[in-house]
Formats: sequence, C-alpha cells, structure tokens
Amino acid sequence: MANSTTSFSRRLFLKGTGVAMALPWLESIPVWGNQLATKQPQRFAALFMGNGVHQTEWYAKGSGREMQFGNCLKPLEPLKGKVNVISGLFNKNATGVGIHPGQTGNILSGVSLQKGAVLKGGISIDQMLAKHFEKETVQSGIVLGCEQPVTGYHETNFSMAYSSHISWRNVSAPMPMEVYPSLAFDTLFDNQGSRRMRSILDRVKEHANYLSRQVSHDDRLKIEEYLASVREVEKRVQRMRDLKARAEERARDKSQPVFTMNRPDNGMPEDIREHLELMCDIIAIAFQTDKTRVASLLMCRDVSSLVYPFLNVRISHHYASHKDTEIEYERICEFYCRQLVYLAQKLQSMPEGESTVLDNSLLYFVNNMWSGKGHDSTKVPILTVGSLGGTVRSGRVLDYLERGDENRKLCSLYLSIMDRMGVKLDSFGDATNRLDGF
Amino acid sequence: MATREGWKAKRSVLIADVEATRHSFVTVRQSVAQVFAMRSMTVMLIAISLTSSAFADPPHLETLARGFNHTVKPFLENYCLSCHGKARQEARLDLSAFTTITTVQADLRHWELVLARLKGEGMPPEDAPRLPSGQKREAMVKWIQDLRTYVADKNAGDPGLVLARRLNGSEYDYTIRDLTGVDIRPTREFPVDPANVAGFANSGESLTMSPALFNKYLDAARHVTDHLVLMPTGITFAPHPAVTYSDRDKFAVRRIVDFYLAQKTDFAEFLAVSWQFRHREALENPELTLAAAADSHGISRKYLATFWDLLHDGKNQFGPIAELREKWDALPAPADTSVRLPLAECREIRDWIVAERKKRKFTFPLVMIPQLNPSTQPGVLWRNRLIAEHRRKGMLSDEERQDEDLRRAIERFCRVVPDRFVRIERGRMNLPFEDQNKGRFLSAGFHLQVGYYRDDGPLYGMLLSDEQQSRLDELWRALYFVTDTPLRQFQDYIYFERAEGREIITEAEFDFARGEDRSVASRESMETFARLYVVAVRKRNLDEEAVAVIKRYFIDMSKRIRVYEQARVEAEPIHLQALLKFATRAWRRPLAVEESRQLLKFYCELREEDELSHEEAIRDAVTSILVSPLFCYRVDFAETENDGNRLTNYSLASRLSYFLWSSMPDEELIALAQADSLQQSRVLLQQVQRMLKDDRSQALAIEFAGNWLDFRQFQNHVAVDREKFPRFTDKLRQSMFQEPVHFISDLIRRDGSVRELLQAGHTFVDKNLAKHYEIPFAADSADENGWLRVDHAQDYGRGGLLPMSVFLTKNSPGLRTSPVKRGYWVVKQLLGERIPAPPPDVPEIPEDEADLRDLTLREVLRKHREVKSCAACHEKFDFAGLVLEGYGPIGERRSQDLGGKTVDDSTVFPDGTTGKGLGGLQAYLVKHRQEQFYDNVCRKLLGYGLGRSLMLSDESTIDRMKQMITENKGRFSSLIKVVVTSPQFLNKRPPRPVDKMSK
Repeated sequence: MANSTTSFSRRLFLKGTGVAMALPWLESIPVWGNQLATKQPQRFAALFMGNGVHQTEWYAKGSGREMQFGNCLKPLEPLKGKVNVISGLFNKNATGVGIHPGQTGNILSGVSLQKGAVLKGGISIDQMLAKHFEKETVQSGIVLGCEQPVTGYHETNFSMAYSSHISWRNVSAPMPMEVYPSLAFDTLFDNQGSRRMRSILDRVKEHANYLSRQVSHDDRLKIEEYLASVREVEKRVQRMRDLKARAEERARDKSQPVFTMNRPDNGMPEDIREHLELMCDIIAIAFQTDKTRVASLLMCRDVSSLVYPFLNVRISHHYASHKDTEIEYERICEFYCRQLVYLAQKLQSMPEGESTVLDNSLLYFVNNMWSGKGHDSTKVPILTVGSLGGTVRSGRVLDYLERGDENRKLCSLYLSIMDRMGVKLDSFGDATNRLDGF
Repeated sequence: MATREGWKAKRSVLIADVEATRHSFVTVRQSVAQVFAMRSMTVMLIAISLTSSAFADPPHLETLARGFNHTVKPFLENYCLSCHGKARQEARLDLSAFTTITTVQADLRHWELVLARLKGEGMPPEDAPRLPSGQKREAMVKWIQDLRTYVADKNAGDPGLVLARRLNGSEYDYTIRDLTGVDIRPTREFPVDPANVAGFANSGESLTMSPALFNKYLDAARHVTDHLVLMPTGITFAPHPAVTYSDRDKFAVRRIVDFYLAQKTDFAEFLAVSWQFRHREALENPELTLAAAADSHGISRKYLATFWDLLHDGKNQFGPIAELREKWDALPAPADTSVRLPLAECREIRDWIVAERKKRKFTFPLVMIPQLNPSTQPGVLWRNRLIAEHRRKGMLSDEERQDEDLRRAIERFCRVVPDRFVRIERGRMNLPFEDQNKGRFLSAGFHLQVGYYRDDGPLYGMLLSDEQQSRLDELWRALYFVTDTPLRQFQDYIYFERAEGREIITEAEFDFARGEDRSVASRESMETFARLYVVAVRKRNLDEEAVAVIKRYFIDMSKRIRVYEQARVEAEPIHLQALLKFATRAWRRPLAVEESRQLLKFYCELREEDELSHEEAIRDAVTSILVSPLFCYRVDFAETENDGNRLTNYSLASRLSYFLWSSMPDEELIALAQADSLQQSRVLLQQVQRMLKDDRSQALAIEFAGNWLDFRQFQNHVAVDREKFPRFTDKLRQSMFQEPVHFISDLIRRDGSVRELLQAGHTFVDKNLAKHYEIPFAADSADENGWLRVDHAQDYGRGGLLPMSVFLTKNSPGLRTSPVKRGYWVVKQLLGERIPAPPPDVPEIPEDEADLRDLTLREVLRKHREVKSCAACHEKFDFAGLVLEGYGPIGERRSQDLGGKTVDDSTVFPDGTTGKGLGGLQAYLVKHRQEQFYDNVCRKLLGYGLGRSLMLSDESTIDRMKQMITENKGRFSSLIKVVVTSPQFLNKRPPRPVDKMSK
C-alpha cells in the first residue's frame, strides 16, 4: 500500500492532458535528452491510398516552378518546387500473385507474402526507421489508419490482413494500427504507455515494501535491492515527464509561437474528411514536438469501402476505382492528393530554425496500383514532398518505367531514403542497389 | 592463494555482511556458522577427509581450551608471530589477536589457511630462523582439526544463511511454463546468472538485482501477458502472443480443429471392432462388450452401438442396408484365437459405403441469391445451413420413394452414414468445392469477410459423449468470445456490401453505418440498417424466401452479437476470480484477505482512474503479479509460533519444488501444504518419489547436473571450427547437449544408481548423435522426441558420462583435443578434487594439432611435465585426458590426430598401473576413486538442494548421504531423501537478536 504522501491522483494527472502544446523543436528537444543537438531531426511519413489512380488526370510535367499538373494533382500547385512526382517504380513481389492483398501488404517492405492462414511478410521501411530512432523519441513511430483492418480471405487465398496493413514490425506481425484519433492522440501526448507502467511500478513498490516488513534482516537487504532497482526505473520515467513539463513552461514564458491541438472526441468521426484531417494533425504535431519521427497513415484500405457523398460520388471507393477513367474517380484521387497537401502545408507552417518542419521531412505518398480497373501493379504512382533536411532534391518529375526492371525497384527508393536518414543497409526487400537519380 | 583470492572477490558482499556481524551482538554459534558459510567448499574437503572424526571420540571444549594454551599459543609465539604479528604482517596476516580459543572459533576462516600452510605447503618457510619439530607441527595440525570437528558437530544441521533470492532465468522459464501451461521462455534475453561458490545459480549469495535487470523482468512479464487470453470461463494463455485478432483467431480455431481431428470417424475401424465383438467367443473373449471393444480402440461407444445395429438388427433388410449386411456377413471368421482384425477387408467395405453414400448426397446451387453479390453473407450462410441440415438425409428417386421398405432402408442408411461427419475447412462457398481455396479452417466461406460456420451435426449427435459435447460447445463459445467474431463479421459485412455489394447500400441513407465503428452493431443501428436494406433489395425482384433469409440474417446476427456482449459483461467477475486464482498460484500460497482486496482495488483503479478497458486492466494486473517480488523472489518463511526454525508449509513446498523441478509447486504439493501434512516425513518422502518420477524432474538433469558438470551453457558453445568440422551443426550441438540430459533424467526417473554416471554400459542418442557416434539408429524404437536408449554402448566407445561428446568437445580448444582440459574436467568437476589454478607463465600449445610438427600432443605434455613445478599438478589429471585421446576435438572416435599421427590412448595412472582408453579409465576410477566421486556427488547435490554454499556443519549430512549410497546401491532417490529430511532443508535459521529487537 502506498502511503498517502507518495500516492498521487491519476485522475488529476489525466485532467492536464486535454490540450497538447506543440513546442517548436528547439524548445522541446532537451526533453528528450540531447541538449546540444544541432542537426535538426529528419522525419518520414508514408501515406497510403489504395486501388490505383485516375488514368488520365494523374500526371505532372516540367520541373520546379514550371511544373504543370493534371487535374488530380492540381492541389500540389502551392507546393511546386517541394514536390517530386515519380512514376514507373514497382514492387516485383507484388506482381503475378493475383489482385489486391498480395499487391498491398508488401508495399513498404518489398518482400514476398505468404498465402493461407499464417501471415508472413517483412519489416516495412517505416518500422525500420522507427527502430533506428527508438532511443531518441518518446514513440518510436506511429501507425495510423482511417479504415479498420479486416482479416477475412480474398479469393487469391491471401488474408485480407495484407490489404489492411502496410506497416509491419517483423516477418510475422503487422503493426497494430490506430484508427481512433482520440486514442492516437493519447498515445502521443498522454503517454499512456508510461502511465500504465507507472501504475504497475507503484504496485510493485507496495509489494516490495510489504514483503520487506515481513522478512528477516538479511532477506530485507535482498528485497531492498529489488526495491532500489524499481525506484531507479521509476525515476527514469518521472524524469521524462519533468523535462517535458519544464520545456513547456519555458516555451510559454518566452511567448514563443505555440501550436495547440485539442484532444479529439472519443469514437470514430463519421465523416472521412474530418477523420483524415485529425490524423494529419496528429502526425504534424507529433513531428513538430519531436515525439516521433516516423509515421504511416493508411488513408484508405486496399479494396476500400469508403464512400464520398461530399464529392457527389455515390459508389464506394473500390467500385469507383474499377471505372478509373471517369470523373468520379478523378475527384476521389484529387481528394487524396489534397490530404497530402493539407499535411504538407501544416508542416510548412511550423518554423524550425531557418527552415520548416516540412523541409526536414519527407512525405511519401504511394498507391498499391497504377490502375484499379486493371489491378495493375507493374508500376505505382508516387509523390514526395519535402527535402528531408536538404538531402532530397525536389521539384522534379521522374519516370523510371523504361529503365529496366532492375533499376526501377521501390525498395531501391527505400534504400535511398534510409541512407539519408542514417540507416545504411546492404539490401532491403528485393533490392541491393540504390535508386539511380533520386 | 589464487583460489582464496577468487572467492574473496566473488563474495565481497557477503564478507562485508559477515564483517558487520562480528561487531554486533551475535552468539558464538551463529557467528561461527556464518564464517564457515563463506568458506570455499573445496578447501574444506581436504581438511575434512583427513579428520575422519566420525569414528573418533568427539573433542571436548575443555580439552581444546587446554590444548590452546599448551600447544597453540607457544607454537604461534615461537614460529609464527615474528612474521605474522603486530610488528610485521606478512601477507596481511596478523595472528597476534588470537589469544583465546574463543577468538579462534570466531574467525576459523583464517585458521583454514593456517591449517593448509602447516600441512606441507611451506609454512614456516625453510629459511625461517627456527623450525618446529615434526611432532609439534602434527600436534598443531591435530588441534586445528579437532576444533573444526568440534564446531561441525556442535552446529550440525545449522540451516545456514539462505537469503531471499530472485528466480534465476531457468527457474523463471520453468515457473512460467507451469503457471501458464505454455512454454513461453521469456528470459531468452536475460544475461547468464552468476553462480555461487557451490557452482549453482540458485542462491541469494550470487543472484543480485539491478535496474537493467529489473527492466528485463518487466519485459519478461509483459511478454508473458501478451499471451494472455480472456475466455468466457476464465483466463488462459496461448502458445503465441494473442494481442491481435489474427493471433486470437489462430489460437481459438486451432483448439477446435485439434478437437475434430482427434475424433475417429473411419467406418473401417467401426467395422473391424464390430467384427471383433461379433467373434468374441471364437477369440476367447466371451465377456467382451460393445462398449469395452470401443474403448479398447478409442472409438465412440455411442456410434459403435448405432453402427452395430445397422449391421445386425435385422430390420430394414432392403437396398443399401441389405447390400451392406451381405458384405459384412462375408467377412471371414477368425482363423485362430489371436486378434488380427481383417482391416483390409473392412477398408473395402468402407470404400463401398462411402461411394454408395455419395450417390445420395444433396447438391445446392452455388449462389443462393443471384441478385446480390455471390458472397453476400445471408446467401452464403443460407447455403451452409442447407448443406449442414442435409448431412444425414439422402436423395431418393421417384421409384425409391414409391417403395415404402426401400425408402425406409435408404433413409436409415443415410441417417447412420452421414455424407460427412464434420466440415473443417471451407474456401469460398460460392465456388465449386474443388475450386475453393483450402486451409481456411472453420471459415464460413465468405469472400473478404471474417466469419466462421459450425457444421458438425453428425459428429456431435452420433459420436460425441455428453461430456465431449459440452467441451465442444465450450470451444465454440470461446472462439466467438475470444475473437469477437460476431461483431467483426457484421462490421465486415457492412464493409463488403459497400465495397463489393453491387451498389445496394450506396445511397445516402446508409451513410450513417461505417464498418469501422463498433456502434454500427448496436441493436438500433442494426434494425435501421436491416429495414433499409430489405427495402433496397426488394427492388431487385428477390423472391420472398430470399428476403426472409436476409431478414433472418439480421435477426440472428443481432442476437448473437447481443449474446456475446452480454457474455463479456458476465465474464468480468469470472475474470477477476481467475485473477485472484492466478495470483495464488503465482505467489505459491493462498492470498491473505487483504492481499485479495488490494489486487481487486488495483484493478478498479486501473479501470476508473487510468480509464483502461477491462482487458487492459486484467493484463496490467497480471503483469503486476509477475513483477511482484512475491512472484519473482523466493523468500523462505519460518513458523513464528511454536518452533522458530521450521519452514512454513508453503515455504517447504516451494523449496521442494524448486529443488527437484526448478519450478513452482503443483496443486498436489500446495494441497498438502494447506492440509498441514507436508511436514510429515512419510508424506514428504512420498512426494519426493512422485516428483522424481515426474517429467519436470528433468530440470535436475539440466540445472543441477548441467551446472555441476559444466555443460549448462553448451548450447551457446562456439569454439568449434566449423570449416574443419562441418558436421558440427547447431543440431548436432543441441543433440550433444541433450545426451547427458536424457541419460540423467532417465536415471532419475527409474531411480538408478549414481554409479552409472561413471560406468554405465548404455547411453541415449537421437538420429544426429547416432550418426556422429556411428551407432545404427532404429528410428522405430525412438521416443516421441526421437531419442532412444543404446545398450552395449561400449561397442561404440560410449556409455556413461565420460565419453559423451558434449564434455569431450567442450574441453577441446577447437582444432585439437586437450588432454589437460579433459583430464582436469574429470578430476575437478566429476571427482571434485581441488586443483590450484595454473601459474600465469605456462607455455602455449599450438591451437591446431597439425602445427605440432613431429610431436604428438602427448609428447608435448610429457615435456611439460618434466618441469617439476608443473608436474605436481599435471600428474593429478593429465592421465585422465590422455586415455581419452581416442576421441577427437568434437568427441568423434579416431585413430589418427589431425596431424596424421596415430593416437595413443594409454596412460600411467597415479597408482602406477597402466591402462588404455575408456575402459581403462573407468576401471581405474571405480577401483580407486569411487569414494571421492561419491563424496563429490553428495556435496554438489546438497549444495544445490540447500541453495547455498556448504558449511562445516553440513558434514554429518554428507556422511549420511554417503552411507545411503552404500546401503541403497547408490539409488538416486536415497540421496535426495537425506537432503530433504535434513534439518538444514526443513528449517530456516532464526533471525538474529538485532532483528527481534527491531520488531
């Protein structure tokens, strides 16, 4: 039993978490221990849309300021110069295996998937990066989605889990995906993990004290040794919290620009627009406060059932994608492009040293197919925004289709991205070479 | 000296503790015992073996006190104090403080050293001004030995200081296995636990805790909790993490599939057993009943009776039944009285039955509601239901229907012989069977959507006993409960209808229903959805039957979702009960009322203050139970009331189970503790017998023998050059490790003699090891793990511990053998002889035998022994390694070494005789060293059992153990029994006075 002086009210603690301060990176960085950090952190976010893009209106021409966009990509207009429009890359293991799940579960890993009841895939680029930054941020990464995973079977005998998960933590397990904005918010700002840990530690301490009182002097020394270890671990958790509180206070005192975000309501937003914006807000605020440097967002699933009445489209996403030359699907694709722009602009509005959070990030938009009608994954549409701290040249239209299969691997692009973020690998997925000219 | 420095360093913590006690109010008795508790056991061994006090008159304190004044004091003054006195303290030893016998008793530790030095290790030094006569020296030695004997007798049975200790990695893993029922082994990433002086990692002396290690315990607990599954009836653990739905589906489905696959449904078997029953008289078993016949073949009694009637009751003698009976009657009668079932003939009849039945199987359209998506749930379920309902019905032609007798016969035939007993796999049900994907166990057969369908009516109704029926019902209930399938199935339905459903629910009025949201499955929401949906599909000209089916779908789904919602609510208090029970088992004793209250309070706080869900709160509570020191520490408690020494019942139960199983007490032990009968020696000894026979006693082979004989870490052995020895694979390494484990476990279970360790004529091998040993392997006779016992192993140069490749390999440095290391292992580990560490300047021997040029390793060693200072030690053990030269660096038999020279496995034993090879070594050991070996086994076992280093006061127990070896032909259990009935084992040393005062 904790005595009254050491116990604390968890309720009281919770009350303080309704609003999260987004502290500029320079202010919040000491929280995570590195007082002298001079290099601004690099961030990576993968945004996924399923079922292909519009066949005639998803294109870009020219470069830099002169870039011109098809109707679907028009929202990128204000970000000209910060964008790369890439086509012609593909994932060999996602071809020739039948449609949908087999084309999706390896979009970020490039590995071959296994049919049947036992899931087998591979670690995805975001989780690879998350592991790399594990020690430096509160959350190694966040994995978000706007459609719940499904686990039935597709006719190809691949599990629908492959259609539902793009982030994989290892060969056999997809990362659990958060679809509730309120819970995603809690994970970051309420730090539920450490709160739960604290409750357990409290309880263990009570036990050790309780036991300590019952045992002989010699035994007590051993129990004290245990108790001391528990206290030390607890202190580390506490230290994190204290530093965070201090940094917030400092920021307020200096009346720095502070972004705030209210905790989203419990439950699932009924409108997909609201849902997507909330998820993007969470990524933005997480990046800005350096809570995490890696995020993935499944905006819609493969074989998505989302409907878009506000676009005046009455059929579901999947259905619409089967008519991917029609105006309906053009509107849907433009809508997803707009989400990317929404997130990018949010990050652009967040100054960080001489630049912005967007400049230090790479937003990676990918679709599992080129054409939903043909279920064609021999090339996939890609957009990137941001320069990853000046390491990625932007404002370009790149087409790799004619360069030969060996030179147009998605995983080559992933190797190139990971290189720039300090994860040097000899190979990833099916690739051993970097993407030429990225 | 090196030995002494060694233990000093290792035990600094304890020494500090003991130092502290010397300055407090301590009784002489305790202080002495504690000092001895620190003594290196091996140092003691030599001294003890020389005293042979058991048969002499016990020394008296007065005699000893006189001796101190007459013999000891003058000796010190004349020969010692000039170098080890106040003025000079050579080797930091000051003997001037020892002015009375009491002071000597209080610090016997230093006197061990004095004794050792006096007994011929060069004190006083030869160049000292004065040297004592041989007589004086002997008198001095005798006095010290007498004092030791006196102290040992006086404190005999002292429980010693057994500190609270954390579960070491192995104990943690075994305990989790027995606590959860699944072998999770969460300590894989723990550092290796440090051993105490006795060589075992099971005492508070060496097992310390640190923040880093605590984090590992925390992670381990979480890892275990990830396997937790909340069931309708309690808490269980899956063999894999069960956090995601995929994991849970796998877990719950597997249980049902395993149940189905365990049922025997082959008609051939029922025919054969019926035949046996029919001919019971001819087979000279006239008393045989149908039920007994069914039992003896493990087939269903219930169905056998039904089937027997079908064959025999004479009714419905038409059509397929008449035909069947004709075939049945044609089966040959037994030729003699031996029961050889006519299986081949029965299979023929079985094939006929199956073919005949197939003709009458009903078929249904692949797609029941063509206006909707072929995989729409109501349609697929409708079809599943029709198929399931027709399992015991047969199709009849019009003519057959006209013929009353024939009709009845066909109907009966089809009722008893279903078209299928159970359907375990389903692909997409809207495809022809052969085109469906397989491997989707229990799946309802939807496209893209999760869902299960139960189709086991014939099995359930005709084969299963009442008990099996309830078990199966429970498994299905658990599947839906654990996987939350009813809700998920409906969410998937919404999703599917929208994504693939032929545009029925794309109108705005359906927008309220998002499959992502759990609230879509609320009763109101489902009613609304159903109403709108039916209106929408009516526009597609569905017939009324289909509409009714669709309506029924919504009603059934809603009902089922409600059932499991309710079940969840009702299960919460059940889970809390299970939580308390789990804590009771984890903490290895009943909970105090207050402890239960606190645990429930913790759960409530997690729910209310931390706002966790029921499941999260249960998980965190379980984690807290596992990180609690009540779980991961072992603390012995003594009875406080009557006898201040006796362990409490529960402490004794734990001590016993951790000794023999390295794991928690099982229910039987706890029940005996609760009934207060475990302390009765009759009960205690019965339990020992039971526990040694139990498979869990394998822990003794791994943890006790593994650490004693130093092979516990062999699974990580990396010193073999795999390019040179490509057959040394991870598999072979594992088999090598397993050999002594199997050998010793077997010895323990059949209560063999410890003598076998040295000289058995058998060993155990699996396929890999048999190949390595060039022993023919009869796979048929192997046990379920692929191991078998090989008798006459001598023919292959094996048998007993000595030639096991694990020891031969471990004691070889890669590309050559090492007679030195092997011999050292035999003499030190196996026999327990104390051998000083080598001096720092020993010359190197090449790493590869091939680099020895024209010399053999044997010759190199011979040269080494020519140096006198080296010879003194090497003569003690080289012999035992040289005779093993017939085994190469990975324990393979060989006639040439890697340099191509012929190996010579002869040696001169310390008694001057010569011998060769394994046989020579065994003969020598049995003849000359058996007593020493027994002594070592006893000491090791006692040290392991007590969980502390040995003390002088343990000598009488050691003597009793050795006596048992003589009296009981070395039976292993007789040694264990001495240990568990010794006062050291049964008691806890009472707290020191200072503790009592503080209470």
